Amino acid sequence: MHNEQKITNMQTLESNKKSTEKSINPISLNLPDFTTDSYKDAYSRINAIVIEGEQEAHDNYISIATLIPNELEELTKLARMEMKHKKGFTACGRNLGVVADMEFAKKFFSKLHGNFQIALEKGNLTTCLLIQAILIEAFAISAYNVYIRVADPFAKKITEGVVKDEYLHLNYGQEWLKKNLSSCKEELMEANKVNLPLIKKMLDEVAEDASVLAMDREELMEEFMIAYQDTLMEIGLDNREIARMAMAAIV
Amino acid sequence: MFGLIGHSTSFEDAKRKASILGFDHIADGDLDVWCTAPPQLVENVEVKSATGISIEGSYIDSCFVPEMLSRFKTARRKVLNAMELAQKKGINITALGGFTSIIFENFNLLQHKQIRNTSLEWERFTTGNTHTAWVICRQLEVNAPRIGIDLKKATVAVIGATGDIGSAVCRWLINKTGISELLMVARQQEPLALLQKELDGGTIKSLDEALPQADIVVWVASLPKTIEIDSDNLKKPCLMIDGGYPKNLDEKFQGENIHVLKGGIVEFFNDIGWNMMELAEMQNPQREMFACFAEAMILEFEKCHTNFSWGRNNISLEKMEFIGSASLKHGFSAIGLDKQPKVLTV
Repeated sequence: MHNEQKITNMQTLESNKKSTEKSINPISLNLPDFTTDSYKDAYSRINAIVIEGEQEAHDNYISIATLIPNELEELTKLARMEMKHKKGFTACGRNLGVVADMEFAKKFFSKLHGNFQIALEKGNLTTCLLIQAILIEAFAISAYNVYIRVADPFAKKITEGVVKDEYLHLNYGQEWLKKNLSSCKEELMEANKVNLPLIKKMLDEVAEDASVLAMDREELMEEFMIAYQDTLMEIGLDNREIARMAMAAIV
Repeated sequence: MFGLIGHSTSFEDAKRKASILGFDHIADGDLDVWCTAPPQLVENVEVKSATGISIEGSYIDSCFVPEMLSRFKTARRKVLNAMELAQKKGINITALGGFTSIIFENFNLLQHKQIRNTSLEWERFTTGNTHTAWVICRQLEVNAPRIGIDLKKATVAVIGATGDIGSAVCRWLINKTGISELLMVARQQEPLALLQKELDGGTIKSLDEALPQADIVVWVASLPKTIEIDSDNLKKPCLMIDGGYPKNLDEKFQGENIHVLKGGIVEFFNDIGWNMMELAEMQNPQREMFACFAEAMILEFEKCHTNFSWGRNNISLEKMEFIGSASLKHGFSAIGLDKQPKVLTV
Protein backbone atom coordinates (compact mmCIF):
# COMPACT_ATOMS: atom_id res chain seq x y z
CA MET A 1 0.00 0.00 0.00
CA HIS A 2 0.32 2.95 0.68
CA ASN A 3 1.79 5.12 0.30
CA GLU A 4 3.98 7.67 0.89
CA GLN A 5 5.81 7.03 4.00
CA LYS A 6 5.10 9.17 6.93
CA ILE A 7 7.51 11.95 7.55
CA THR A 8 7.76 10.94 11.19
CA ASN A 9 9.33 7.71 10.12
CA MET A 10 11.15 9.21 7.18
CA GLN A 11 13.87 10.45 9.48
CA THR A 12 14.84 6.90 10.31
CA LEU A 13 14.76 5.78 6.73
CA GLU A 14 16.54 8.87 5.51
CA SER A 15 19.29 8.48 8.04
CA ASN A 16 19.96 5.07 6.54
CA LYS A 17 20.08 6.36 3.04
CA LYS A 18 23.82 6.45 2.76
CA SER A 19 24.33 2.90 3.85
CA THR A 20 21.44 1.79 1.68
CA GLU A 21 23.00 3.33 -1.34
CA LYS A 22 26.21 1.58 -0.52
CA SER A 23 24.42 -1.74 -0.29
CA ILE A 24 22.91 -1.47 -3.73
CA ASN A 25 26.20 -0.89 -5.42
CA PRO A 26 27.95 -3.88 -6.94
CA ILE A 27 28.32 -6.49 -4.27
CA SER A 28 32.10 -6.46 -4.59
CA LEU A 29 32.20 -3.09 -2.83
CA ASN A 30 30.89 -4.71 0.32
CA LEU A 31 33.36 -7.55 0.39
CA PRO A 32 35.79 -7.79 3.27
CA ASP A 33 39.55 -7.66 2.74
CA PHE A 34 40.49 -11.34 2.41
CA THR A 35 44.18 -10.65 2.91
CA THR A 36 44.18 -9.27 6.46
CA ASP A 37 45.48 -11.30 9.40
CA SER A 38 42.20 -10.93 11.24
CA TYR A 39 40.27 -12.30 8.24
CA LYS A 40 42.64 -15.24 7.89
CA ASP A 41 42.56 -15.93 11.63
CA ALA A 42 38.75 -16.08 11.67
CA TYR A 43 38.75 -18.04 8.42
CA SER A 44 41.02 -20.71 9.93
CA ARG A 45 38.19 -21.64 12.32
CA ILE A 46 35.21 -21.13 10.00
CA ASN A 47 36.91 -23.04 7.20
CA ALA A 48 37.74 -25.85 9.64
CA ILE A 49 34.11 -26.04 10.78
CA VAL A 50 32.97 -26.37 7.19
CA ILE A 51 35.57 -29.04 6.37
CA GLU A 52 34.78 -30.98 9.55
CA GLY A 53 31.05 -30.54 8.89
CA GLU A 54 31.37 -32.15 5.47
CA GLN A 55 33.45 -35.01 6.92
CA GLU A 56 30.86 -35.56 9.69
CA ALA A 57 28.11 -35.51 7.07
CA HIS A 58 29.94 -38.15 5.04
CA ASP A 59 30.41 -40.38 8.07
CA ASN A 60 26.84 -39.85 9.26
CA TYR A 61 25.28 -40.82 5.92
CA ILE A 62 27.38 -43.99 5.85
CA SER A 63 26.24 -44.73 9.43
CA ILE A 64 22.59 -44.07 8.61
CA ALA A 65 22.87 -46.66 5.85
CA THR A 66 23.52 -49.29 8.50
CA LEU A 67 20.03 -48.57 9.88
CA ILE A 68 18.34 -48.65 6.46
CA PRO A 69 20.43 -51.03 4.34
CA ASN A 70 18.07 -50.83 1.37
CA GLU A 71 18.98 -47.13 1.08
CA LEU A 72 22.70 -47.91 0.97
CA GLU A 73 23.17 -46.89 -2.64
CA GLU A 74 21.44 -43.53 -2.28
CA LEU A 75 23.14 -42.74 1.03
CA THR A 76 26.55 -43.66 -0.34
CA LYS A 77 25.90 -41.24 -3.19
CA LEU A 78 25.11 -38.46 -0.70
CA ALA A 79 28.19 -39.34 1.35
CA ARG A 80 30.41 -39.12 -1.74
CA MET A 81 29.05 -35.67 -2.50
CA GLU A 82 29.99 -34.55 1.01
CA MET A 83 33.58 -35.67 0.44
CA LYS A 84 33.65 -33.69 -2.78
CA HIS A 85 32.46 -30.66 -0.83
CA LYS A 86 35.17 -31.23 1.76
CA LYS A 87 37.80 -31.14 -0.95
CA GLY A 88 36.28 -27.96 -2.39
CA PHE A 89 36.34 -26.17 0.95
CA THR A 90 39.86 -27.38 1.70
CA ALA A 91 40.88 -25.72 -1.56
CA CYS A 92 39.16 -22.50 -0.46
CA GLY A 93 41.35 -22.34 2.65
CA ARG A 94 44.47 -23.15 0.67
CA ASN A 95 43.59 -20.45 -1.85
CA LEU A 96 43.66 -17.85 0.91
CA GLY A 97 46.80 -19.30 2.49
CA VAL A 98 44.93 -20.38 5.62
CA VAL A 99 45.56 -23.49 7.70
CA ALA A 100 42.28 -24.81 9.03
CA ASP A 101 42.09 -25.23 12.82
CA MET A 102 40.73 -28.78 12.80
CA GLU A 103 41.09 -29.25 16.53
CA PHE A 104 38.72 -26.37 17.13
CA ALA A 105 36.26 -27.78 14.58
CA LYS A 106 36.20 -31.25 16.15
CA LYS A 107 35.39 -29.70 19.51
CA PHE A 108 32.78 -27.48 17.87
CA PHE A 109 30.88 -30.52 16.58
CA SER A 110 31.54 -32.79 19.55
CA LYS A 111 28.18 -32.51 21.32
CA LEU A 112 26.11 -32.94 18.19
CA HIS A 113 28.47 -35.73 17.11
CA GLY A 114 27.94 -37.40 20.49
CA ASN A 115 24.16 -37.16 20.25
CA PHE A 116 24.26 -38.66 16.77
CA GLN A 117 26.40 -41.58 17.96
CA ILE A 118 24.05 -42.30 20.88
CA ALA A 119 21.03 -42.27 18.54
CA LEU A 120 22.88 -44.52 16.10
CA GLU A 121 23.72 -47.06 18.79
CA LYS A 122 20.09 -47.11 19.89
CA GLY A 123 18.93 -47.43 16.31
CA ASN A 124 16.97 -44.17 16.53
CA LEU A 125 16.80 -43.47 12.82
CA THR A 126 14.48 -40.45 13.16
CA THR A 127 16.92 -38.74 15.51
CA CYS A 128 19.85 -39.54 13.23
CA LEU A 129 18.02 -38.10 10.24
CA LEU A 130 16.93 -35.01 12.14
CA ILE A 131 20.46 -34.30 13.30
CA GLN A 132 22.22 -34.91 10.00
CA ALA A 133 19.76 -34.52 7.17
CA ILE A 134 17.70 -31.71 8.66
CA LEU A 135 19.55 -29.72 11.33
CA ILE A 136 23.10 -29.94 9.98
CA GLU A 137 21.98 -29.55 6.36
CA ALA A 138 19.76 -26.55 7.20
CA PHE A 139 22.64 -25.06 9.21
CA ALA A 140 25.00 -25.59 6.27
CA ILE A 141 22.56 -24.19 3.72
CA SER A 142 21.92 -21.07 5.77
CA ALA A 143 25.61 -20.47 6.41
CA TYR A 144 26.52 -21.08 2.76
CA ASN A 145 23.74 -18.79 1.53
CA VAL A 146 25.02 -15.99 3.73
CA TYR A 147 28.66 -16.76 2.88
CA ILE A 148 28.06 -16.68 -0.88
CA ARG A 149 27.16 -12.98 -0.60
CA VAL A 150 30.52 -12.08 0.99
CA ALA A 151 32.93 -14.81 -0.15
CA ASP A 152 36.07 -14.36 -2.23
CA PRO A 153 35.43 -15.16 -5.90
CA PHE A 154 37.03 -18.62 -5.74
CA ALA A 155 35.13 -19.70 -2.62
CA LYS A 156 31.93 -18.16 -3.94
CA LYS A 157 31.99 -20.42 -6.98
CA ILE A 158 32.74 -23.53 -4.93
CA THR A 159 30.04 -22.69 -2.36
CA GLU A 160 27.40 -22.02 -5.01
CA GLY A 161 27.95 -25.55 -6.32
CA VAL A 162 27.85 -27.05 -2.85
CA VAL A 163 24.65 -25.34 -1.73
CA LYS A 164 22.74 -26.87 -4.63
CA ASP A 165 23.78 -30.35 -3.46
CA GLU A 166 22.91 -29.59 0.16
CA TYR A 167 19.31 -28.82 -0.82
CA LEU A 168 19.17 -32.37 -2.27
CA HIS A 169 20.43 -33.78 1.02
CA LEU A 170 17.91 -31.80 3.03
CA ASN A 171 15.29 -33.10 0.66
CA TYR A 172 16.38 -36.70 1.32
CA GLY A 173 15.77 -36.48 5.07
CA GLN A 174 12.64 -34.46 4.51
CA GLU A 175 11.08 -37.06 2.22
CA TRP A 176 11.85 -39.95 4.56
CA LEU A 177 10.39 -38.16 7.57
CA LYS A 178 7.36 -37.09 5.53
CA LYS A 179 6.65 -40.68 4.55
CA ASN A 180 7.02 -41.91 8.11
CA LEU A 181 5.64 -38.90 9.98
CA SER A 182 2.83 -40.73 11.74
CA SER A 183 5.24 -43.16 13.37
CA CYS A 184 8.17 -40.81 13.98
CA LYS A 185 6.55 -37.55 15.09
CA GLU A 186 7.10 -38.05 18.80
CA GLU A 187 10.75 -38.93 18.38
CA LEU A 188 11.18 -36.01 15.98
CA MET A 189 9.83 -33.55 18.55
CA GLU A 190 12.03 -34.99 21.29
CA ALA A 191 15.14 -35.01 19.11
CA ASN A 192 14.44 -31.40 18.15
CA LYS A 193 14.14 -30.38 21.77
CA VAL A 194 17.55 -31.82 22.57
CA ASN A 195 19.44 -30.83 19.44
CA LEU A 196 18.04 -27.51 18.20
CA PRO A 197 19.49 -25.64 21.22
CA LEU A 198 22.89 -27.10 20.27
CA ILE A 199 22.61 -25.55 16.81
CA LYS A 200 21.77 -22.21 18.40
CA LYS A 201 24.79 -22.52 20.71
CA MET A 202 27.04 -23.44 17.79
CA LEU A 203 25.81 -20.40 15.91
CA ASP A 204 26.50 -18.15 18.89
CA GLU A 205 29.94 -19.66 19.30
CA VAL A 206 30.90 -18.89 15.75
CA ALA A 207 29.19 -15.49 15.52
CA GLU A 208 32.25 -13.40 16.26
CA ASP A 209 34.44 -15.12 13.66
CA ALA A 210 31.57 -15.04 11.17
CA SER A 211 31.23 -11.28 11.61
CA VAL A 212 34.90 -10.85 10.65
CA LEU A 213 33.94 -12.60 7.42
CA ALA A 214 31.08 -10.07 7.08
CA MET A 215 28.49 -12.71 7.94
CA ASP A 216 25.87 -11.27 10.23
CA ARG A 217 24.68 -13.39 13.18
CA GLU A 218 21.10 -12.20 12.83
CA GLU A 219 21.08 -13.07 9.15
CA LEU A 220 22.60 -16.51 9.81
CA MET A 221 19.97 -17.30 12.40
CA GLU A 222 17.15 -16.08 10.17
CA GLU A 223 18.42 -18.09 7.20
CA PHE A 224 18.60 -21.16 9.41
CA MET A 225 15.06 -20.65 10.73
CA ILE A 226 13.77 -20.22 7.17
CA ALA A 227 15.42 -23.43 5.93
CA TYR A 228 14.35 -25.31 9.06
CA GLN A 229 10.77 -24.04 8.99
CA ASP A 230 10.43 -24.81 5.26
CA THR A 231 11.61 -28.36 5.86
CA LEU A 232 9.30 -29.01 8.80
CA MET A 233 6.43 -27.61 6.77
CA GLU A 234 7.28 -29.98 3.90
CA ILE A 235 7.49 -32.90 6.31
CA GLY A 236 3.88 -32.16 7.15
CA LEU A 237 3.94 -30.37 10.49
CA ASP A 238 1.52 -27.50 10.98
CA ASN A 239 2.28 -23.91 11.99
CA ARG A 240 1.68 -24.47 15.68
CA GLU A 241 3.81 -27.61 15.86
CA ILE A 242 6.61 -25.80 14.08
CA ALA A 243 6.22 -22.87 16.44
CA ARG A 244 6.56 -25.24 19.40
CA MET A 245 9.64 -26.84 17.89
CA ALA A 246 11.23 -23.49 17.06
CA MET A 247 10.70 -22.46 20.69
CA ALA A 248 13.63 -24.73 21.61
CA ALA A 249 15.92 -22.36 19.72
CA ILE A 250 15.23 -19.40 21.96
CA VAL A 251 15.13 -21.02 25.38
CA MET B 1 -4.11 -17.11 -6.18
CA PHE B 2 -3.66 -13.67 -4.68
CA GLY B 3 -1.37 -12.81 -1.80
CA LEU B 4 -1.19 -10.07 0.79
CA ILE B 5 2.05 -9.23 2.58
CA GLY B 6 1.34 -7.37 5.78
CA HIS B 7 2.89 -6.66 9.15
CA SER B 8 1.91 -5.47 12.60
CA THR B 9 1.66 -1.81 13.46
CA SER B 10 4.03 -2.13 16.43
CA PHE B 11 6.23 -4.66 18.21
CA GLU B 12 3.79 -4.93 21.10
CA ASP B 13 0.92 -5.48 18.69
CA ALA B 14 2.92 -8.13 16.84
CA LYS B 15 3.58 -10.09 20.03
CA ARG B 16 -0.08 -9.96 20.94
CA LYS B 17 -1.10 -11.25 17.50
CA ALA B 18 1.53 -14.00 17.55
CA SER B 19 0.20 -15.16 20.87
CA ILE B 20 -3.39 -15.26 19.55
CA LEU B 21 -2.22 -17.25 16.51
CA GLY B 22 -0.27 -19.72 18.65
CA PHE B 23 3.21 -18.65 17.52
CA ASP B 24 4.48 -18.77 21.08
CA HIS B 25 8.15 -18.91 20.21
CA ILE B 26 8.11 -15.45 18.71
CA ALA B 27 5.31 -14.10 20.91
CA ASP B 28 7.65 -14.53 23.88
CA GLY B 29 10.75 -13.38 22.05
CA ASP B 30 12.44 -9.99 22.19
CA LEU B 31 13.00 -7.79 19.14
CA ASP B 32 16.18 -9.73 18.27
CA VAL B 33 14.15 -12.93 18.02
CA TRP B 34 11.69 -11.17 15.72
CA CYS B 35 14.58 -9.97 13.59
CA THR B 36 15.51 -13.61 12.94
CA ALA B 37 11.94 -14.90 12.52
CA PRO B 38 10.98 -16.20 9.08
CA PRO B 39 7.91 -14.81 7.31
CA GLN B 40 4.72 -16.70 8.16
CA LEU B 41 1.87 -17.67 5.92
CA VAL B 42 -0.83 -17.21 8.53
CA GLU B 43 -4.10 -17.56 6.68
CA ASN B 44 -5.67 -18.95 3.53
CA VAL B 45 -8.97 -17.56 2.37
CA GLU B 46 -11.51 -17.96 -0.41
CA VAL B 47 -13.23 -14.83 -1.72
CA LYS B 48 -16.27 -14.68 -3.98
CA SER B 49 -16.74 -11.61 -6.17
CA ALA B 50 -20.08 -9.85 -6.68
CA THR B 51 -19.92 -11.34 -10.17
CA GLY B 52 -19.80 -14.85 -8.71
CA ILE B 53 -16.13 -15.62 -9.46
CA SER B 54 -14.26 -17.35 -6.62
CA ILE B 55 -10.57 -16.88 -5.93
CA GLU B 56 -8.18 -18.14 -3.29
CA GLY B 57 -5.55 -16.19 -1.47
CA SER B 58 -3.06 -16.14 1.38
CA TYR B 59 -2.02 -13.64 3.99
CA ILE B 60 1.69 -13.54 4.75
CA ASP B 61 3.04 -11.71 7.79
CA SER B 62 6.59 -10.62 7.05
CA CYS B 63 7.39 -10.48 10.81
CA PHE B 64 8.54 -6.92 10.16
CA VAL B 65 7.57 -4.34 12.75
CA PRO B 66 8.06 -0.57 12.43
CA GLU B 67 10.65 -0.71 15.24
CA MET B 68 12.94 -2.38 12.66
CA LEU B 69 12.99 0.67 10.37
CA SER B 70 16.28 1.75 11.89
CA ARG B 71 17.85 -1.62 11.00
CA PHE B 72 17.85 -1.36 7.25
CA LYS B 73 19.41 -4.77 6.60
CA THR B 74 16.76 -6.42 8.76
CA ALA B 75 13.93 -4.49 7.12
CA ARG B 76 15.27 -5.38 3.68
CA ARG B 77 15.48 -9.08 4.56
CA LYS B 78 11.96 -9.12 5.99
CA VAL B 79 10.48 -7.74 2.78
CA LEU B 80 12.52 -9.92 0.43
CA ASN B 81 11.94 -13.09 2.45
CA ALA B 82 8.18 -12.49 2.53
CA MET B 83 8.20 -11.93 -1.23
CA GLU B 84 10.20 -15.11 -1.73
CA LEU B 85 7.69 -17.05 0.36
CA ALA B 86 4.79 -15.66 -1.70
CA GLN B 87 6.50 -16.71 -4.91
CA LYS B 88 7.44 -20.15 -3.56
CA LYS B 89 3.79 -20.70 -2.66
CA GLY B 90 2.94 -20.11 -6.31
CA ILE B 91 0.92 -16.96 -5.67
CA ASN B 92 0.20 -15.12 -8.92
CA ILE B 93 -0.21 -11.61 -7.62
CA THR B 94 0.78 -10.31 -4.18
CA ALA B 95 0.21 -6.83 -2.74
CA LEU B 96 2.95 -5.24 -0.67
CA GLY B 97 1.12 -3.81 2.33
CA GLY B 98 2.01 -1.19 4.93
CA PHE B 99 5.71 -0.39 5.07
CA THR B 100 6.53 -3.27 2.71
CA SER B 101 6.25 -1.25 -0.50
CA ILE B 102 7.85 1.79 1.16
CA ILE B 103 10.89 -0.28 2.17
CA PHE B 104 11.00 -1.85 -1.28
CA GLU B 105 11.05 1.57 -2.90
CA ASN B 106 13.32 3.42 -0.46
CA PHE B 107 15.89 0.66 -0.15
CA ASN B 108 15.81 0.04 -3.88
CA LEU B 109 15.20 -3.67 -3.52
CA LEU B 110 14.95 -4.11 -7.28
CA GLN B 111 18.69 -4.72 -6.96
CA HIS B 112 18.02 -7.88 -4.95
CA LYS B 113 16.30 -10.18 -7.39
CA GLN B 114 18.06 -13.36 -6.28
CA ILE B 115 16.92 -14.66 -2.90
CA ARG B 116 18.67 -17.94 -2.11
CA ASN B 117 17.60 -20.31 -4.90
CA THR B 118 14.65 -18.15 -5.93
CA SER B 119 14.84 -15.50 -8.60
CA LEU B 120 12.07 -13.06 -7.72
CA GLU B 121 9.64 -12.43 -10.55
CA TRP B 122 8.51 -8.82 -10.18
CA GLU B 123 5.40 -9.41 -12.29
CA ARG B 124 4.02 -11.38 -9.33
CA PHE B 125 3.91 -8.28 -7.11
CA THR B 126 2.06 -5.00 -6.94
CA THR B 127 2.31 -2.04 -4.58
CA GLY B 128 -1.44 -1.61 -4.87
CA ASN B 129 -0.92 2.14 -5.19
CA THR B 130 -3.15 2.56 -8.28
CA HIS B 131 -6.19 1.30 -6.42
CA THR B 132 -5.25 3.26 -3.30
CA ALA B 133 -5.00 6.47 -5.35
CA TRP B 134 -8.32 5.76 -7.10
CA VAL B 135 -10.04 5.03 -3.78
CA ILE B 136 -8.74 8.25 -2.22
CA CYS B 137 -10.06 10.25 -5.20
CA ARG B 138 -13.37 8.45 -4.97
CA GLN B 139 -13.59 9.17 -1.23
CA LEU B 140 -12.95 12.82 -1.97
CA GLU B 141 -15.58 13.03 -4.72
CA VAL B 142 -18.28 11.24 -2.73
CA ASN B 143 -17.73 12.69 0.75
CA ALA B 144 -16.99 16.36 0.09
CA PRO B 145 -20.53 17.15 -1.12
CA ARG B 146 -21.92 15.31 1.92
CA ILE B 147 -20.43 17.90 4.26
CA GLY B 148 -21.41 20.83 2.08
CA ILE B 149 -18.30 21.26 -0.04
CA ASP B 150 -19.05 21.96 -3.70
CA LEU B 151 -16.23 20.37 -5.68
CA LYS B 152 -16.49 22.93 -8.47
CA LYS B 153 -15.66 25.66 -5.97
CA ALA B 154 -13.29 23.64 -3.81
CA THR B 155 -9.61 24.15 -3.22
CA VAL B 156 -7.84 20.83 -2.66
CA ALA B 157 -4.40 20.53 -1.10
CA VAL B 158 -2.38 17.35 -1.67
CA ILE B 159 0.35 16.90 0.93
CA GLY B 160 3.04 14.61 -0.44
CA ALA B 161 2.11 15.49 -4.00
CA THR B 162 5.21 14.11 -5.66
CA GLY B 163 4.99 10.57 -4.32
CA ASP B 164 3.54 7.66 -6.27
CA ILE B 165 0.04 8.01 -4.82
CA GLY B 166 0.21 11.78 -4.41
CA SER B 167 1.07 12.45 -8.04
CA ALA B 168 -1.66 10.04 -9.21
CA VAL B 169 -4.21 11.83 -7.03
CA CYS B 170 -3.12 15.21 -8.44
CA ARG B 171 -3.38 13.86 -12.00
CA TRP B 172 -6.90 12.59 -11.37
CA LEU B 173 -8.07 15.74 -9.58
CA ILE B 174 -6.90 18.03 -12.39
CA ASN B 175 -8.24 15.90 -15.21
CA LYS B 176 -11.33 14.25 -13.82
CA THR B 177 -13.01 16.27 -11.10
CA GLY B 178 -13.35 19.92 -12.14
CA ILE B 179 -12.14 21.19 -8.75
CA SER B 180 -11.52 24.90 -8.54
CA GLU B 181 -7.89 24.80 -7.43
CA LEU B 182 -5.18 22.27 -6.67
CA LEU B 183 -2.44 23.10 -4.17
CA MET B 184 0.56 20.82 -4.23
CA VAL B 185 2.82 20.41 -1.20
CA ALA B 186 5.99 18.34 -0.97
CA ARG B 187 9.40 18.60 0.64
CA GLN B 188 11.39 18.53 -2.57
CA GLN B 189 10.82 21.42 -4.93
CA GLU B 190 12.32 19.98 -8.10
CA PRO B 191 9.90 17.07 -8.54
CA LEU B 192 7.07 19.46 -7.65
CA ALA B 193 8.01 21.74 -10.52
CA LEU B 194 8.19 18.74 -12.86
CA LEU B 195 4.76 17.56 -11.74
CA GLN B 196 3.30 21.03 -12.25
CA LYS B 197 4.73 21.04 -15.75
CA GLU B 198 3.34 17.59 -16.51
CA LEU B 199 -0.11 18.49 -15.21
CA ASP B 200 -0.05 21.95 -16.76
CA GLY B 201 -1.83 23.06 -13.60
CA GLY B 202 -1.78 23.13 -9.83
CA THR B 203 -0.09 25.64 -7.57
CA ILE B 204 3.01 24.87 -5.53
CA LYS B 205 2.61 25.86 -1.90
CA SER B 206 4.22 25.33 1.46
CA LEU B 207 2.25 23.40 4.08
CA ASP B 208 1.60 26.58 6.08
CA GLU B 209 0.29 28.40 3.02
CA ALA B 210 -1.85 25.54 1.76
CA LEU B 211 -3.72 24.48 4.90
CA PRO B 212 -5.73 27.67 5.56
CA GLN B 213 -6.80 27.82 1.91
CA ALA B 214 -7.94 24.23 1.48
CA ASP B 215 -11.49 22.92 1.68
CA ILE B 216 -10.12 19.43 1.28
CA VAL B 217 -6.70 18.14 2.34
CA VAL B 218 -5.38 14.82 1.05
CA TRP B 219 -2.48 13.56 3.18
CA VAL B 220 -0.27 10.99 1.54
CA ALA B 221 2.72 11.90 3.67
CA SER B 222 2.10 12.63 7.29
CA LEU B 223 3.06 15.40 9.59
CA PRO B 224 6.40 15.72 11.27
CA LYS B 225 5.86 14.71 14.89
CA THR B 226 6.75 18.13 16.20
CA ILE B 227 4.44 20.17 14.03
CA GLU B 228 1.53 21.96 15.68
CA ILE B 229 -1.37 23.08 13.57
CA ASP B 230 -3.97 25.48 14.82
CA SER B 231 -7.35 24.12 13.81
CA ASP B 232 -8.73 27.66 13.93
CA ASN B 233 -6.73 28.43 10.80
CA LEU B 234 -8.47 25.70 8.80
CA LYS B 235 -11.50 26.29 6.63
CA LYS B 236 -14.84 25.05 7.95
CA PRO B 237 -16.07 22.66 6.81
CA CYS B 238 -12.86 20.88 6.00
CA LEU B 239 -12.43 17.32 4.74
CA MET B 240 -9.17 15.64 5.69
CA ILE B 241 -8.34 12.38 3.96
CA ASP B 242 -5.65 10.38 5.75
CA GLY B 243 -4.02 8.43 2.94
CA GLY B 244 -0.67 7.85 4.65
CA TYR B 245 0.55 4.95 6.70
CA PRO B 246 0.06 4.43 9.59
CA LYS B 247 -3.22 6.31 9.89
CA ASN B 248 -3.05 8.70 12.79
CA LEU B 249 -4.14 12.02 11.37
CA ASP B 250 -7.16 12.26 13.65
CA GLU B 251 -4.75 12.69 16.56
CA LYS B 252 -3.51 15.93 15.02
CA PHE B 253 -6.69 17.59 13.97
CA GLN B 254 -9.56 18.32 16.23
CA GLY B 255 -12.25 20.92 15.83
CA GLU B 256 -15.80 21.49 14.87
CA ASN B 257 -16.57 20.73 11.25
CA ILE B 258 -13.24 19.10 10.60
CA HIS B 259 -13.97 15.71 9.11
CA VAL B 260 -11.15 13.18 9.14
CA LEU B 261 -11.59 10.18 6.85
CA LYS B 262 -9.33 7.13 6.73
CA GLY B 263 -8.08 7.20 3.17
CA GLY B 264 -7.46 4.22 0.94
CA ILE B 265 -9.73 1.81 2.84
CA VAL B 266 -12.37 -0.19 1.02
CA GLU B 267 -15.29 -2.33 2.06
CA PHE B 268 -16.24 -5.59 0.37
CA PHE B 269 -19.94 -6.31 -0.24
CA ASN B 270 -19.83 -9.59 1.69
CA ASP B 271 -18.18 -11.04 4.79
CA ILE B 272 -14.84 -12.59 3.86
CA GLY B 273 -14.39 -14.94 6.80
CA TRP B 274 -10.77 -14.14 7.61
CA ASN B 275 -9.03 -13.08 10.80
CA MET B 276 -6.26 -10.89 9.53
CA MET B 277 -8.15 -7.64 9.14
CA GLU B 278 -9.35 -7.97 12.70
CA LEU B 279 -5.74 -7.92 13.65
CA ALA B 280 -5.23 -4.92 11.35
CA GLU B 281 -7.82 -3.16 13.53
CA MET B 282 -10.30 -2.39 10.80
CA GLN B 283 -13.67 -1.16 12.01
CA ASN B 284 -15.52 -3.90 10.16
CA PRO B 285 -12.76 -6.50 9.81
CA GLN B 286 -14.84 -9.04 7.88
CA ARG B 287 -15.31 -6.54 5.04
CA GLU B 288 -12.84 -3.68 5.33
CA MET B 289 -9.28 -3.73 4.10
CA PHE B 290 -6.53 -1.55 2.70
CA ALA B 291 -7.15 -0.69 -0.95
CA CYS B 292 -3.71 -2.01 -1.85
CA PHE B 293 -4.70 -5.48 -0.64
CA ALA B 294 -7.95 -5.22 -2.58
CA GLU B 295 -5.90 -4.46 -5.70
CA ALA B 296 -4.30 -7.92 -5.55
CA MET B 297 -7.77 -9.47 -5.24
CA ILE B 298 -9.13 -7.41 -8.14
CA LEU B 299 -6.18 -8.36 -10.34
CA GLU B 300 -6.77 -12.02 -9.49
CA PHE B 301 -10.51 -11.70 -10.21
CA GLU B 302 -9.61 -10.14 -13.56
CA LYS B 303 -6.87 -12.75 -14.19
CA CYS B 304 -4.59 -9.77 -14.72
CA HIS B 305 -1.36 -11.30 -13.49
CA THR B 306 1.05 -8.42 -13.80
CA ASN B 307 2.85 -5.97 -11.54
CA PHE B 308 0.06 -3.49 -12.15
CA SER B 309 1.38 -0.84 -9.75
CA TRP B 310 5.15 -0.75 -9.86
CA GLY B 311 7.92 1.83 -9.63
CA ARG B 312 7.31 5.49 -9.04
CA ASN B 313 4.96 7.81 -10.91
CA ASN B 314 3.74 5.21 -13.37
CA ILE B 315 0.07 5.51 -12.40
CA SER B 316 -1.88 6.71 -15.42
CA LEU B 317 -5.51 7.84 -15.56
CA GLU B 318 -6.28 4.80 -17.71
CA LYS B 319 -4.92 2.45 -15.08
CA MET B 320 -6.92 4.20 -12.38
CA GLU B 321 -10.06 3.92 -14.47
CA PHE B 322 -9.43 0.23 -15.13
CA ILE B 323 -8.83 -0.68 -11.49
CA GLY B 324 -11.68 1.58 -10.33
CA SER B 325 -14.28 0.04 -12.57
CA ALA B 326 -13.07 -3.49 -11.76
CA SER B 327 -13.19 -2.59 -8.06
CA LEU B 328 -16.86 -1.60 -8.28
CA LYS B 329 -17.70 -4.59 -10.49
CA HIS B 330 -16.34 -7.11 -7.99
CA GLY B 331 -18.06 -5.56 -4.99
CA PHE B 332 -15.63 -3.12 -3.40
CA SER B 333 -16.62 0.36 -2.28
CA ALA B 334 -14.55 3.13 -0.70
CA ILE B 335 -15.43 3.73 2.95
CA GLY B 336 -17.07 7.07 3.60
CA LEU B 337 -17.80 9.40 6.46
CA ASP B 338 -21.00 7.54 7.32
CA LYS B 339 -18.99 4.34 7.85
CA GLN B 340 -16.31 6.00 9.81
CA PRO B 341 -17.73 9.09 11.44
CA LYS B 342 -14.63 10.72 12.82
CA VAL B 343 -16.15 14.16 13.10
CA LEU B 344 -14.26 15.58 15.95
CA THR B 345 -15.94 18.25 17.92
CA VAL B 346 -14.38 19.92 20.89
